[in-house]
Amino acid sequence: MNGWILGATLALGAGIGAALWGVATGPLRRRVVAQNMSTALACPALLLLSQGYTRPSYVDLALVLALLGPVGTLVFARLLADELADDPPRAWGVTWVVAGFGAAVVGVLCVATGPSRALVKLLVVGALLIGGNVVASRALSGGFRGVRRG
Amino acid sequence: MNPRTTLLTLAEALAWWIALAALWLVLISTVDTLERVVGASAAAVAAVAATAARRVVTAR
Amino acid sequence: MADAVIVVVLLLVAATATTAVAVRDPVRQALVLSVLGVVLAVLFTVLQAPDVGLSQLAVGSALTPLLLLLAVRKVRRRARGREDPE
Repeated sequence: MNGWILGATLALGAGIGAALWGVATGPLRRRVVAQNMSTALACPALLLLSQGYTRPSYVDLALVLALLGPVGTLVFARLLADELADDPPRAWGVTWVVAGFGAAVVGVLCVATGPSRALVKLLVVGALLIGGNVVASRALSGGFRGVRRG
Repeated sequence: MNPRTTLLTLAEALAWWIALAALWLVLISTVDTLERVVGASAAAVAAVAATAARRVVTAR
Repeated sequence: MADAVIVVVLLLVAATATTAVAVRDPVRQALVLSVLGVVLAVLFTVLQAPDVGLSQLAVGSALTPLLLLLAVRKVRRRARGREDPE
């Protein structure tokens, strides 16, 4: 057990635990935000695990999650648009904290990896993670007016 | 389609191809000849699709 | 001591699955199932099965909740359509 795996364990335990509590209790607006945060926290945890087990192939899991996590949240935002319209989620604080955590993890891993193609791959994953997180949060708070329900 | 729009479309597809091929080269683990060929072909197909998609999205 | 991470993730899977059963409304259940999909993918990664984890991510994070929500919407529309003509 090295520091990377320990960090991943802490991120998973605290982060996904909090996300689970948020998705199980409370009004609908808290639950969708918690679901969004669960994917946004699992991605840096997978990056840390990839470094901890020294298997660069695990970064592909983080890449796929960075792409599909926001897609899942957008599915909920689209199909629950009616119920969310009267009580829109406003959780920008949590969003930016989680995005900051993701950026910090990517930064530390970039330093640990050193200049190479793997570094650029980490930066791509980080950009997708933060960009996807922001897009999904904005869609949840009803930001994309041009998309109307079918 | 007049020659000017043809040239613009081709330039856009080429830009997409360069970006997607660079992305492929970053995401794979080892770079050898087979990977380069596969990456170039996949990027070409995706560049055509992306150019068409962008036309559809911005035409609305 | 890499077992600690396996224990933590197994506990998370157990808690999430229990929550998925405890939540009764299908729409809210779909949200919990999305979290369960992600946690299962992490479990497969921690058990050194990344290919299975990749498939799990592809299916569990977006597809399963989508299917569930579409089914719920279809059932509710049909129920509403049956009430109105009467």
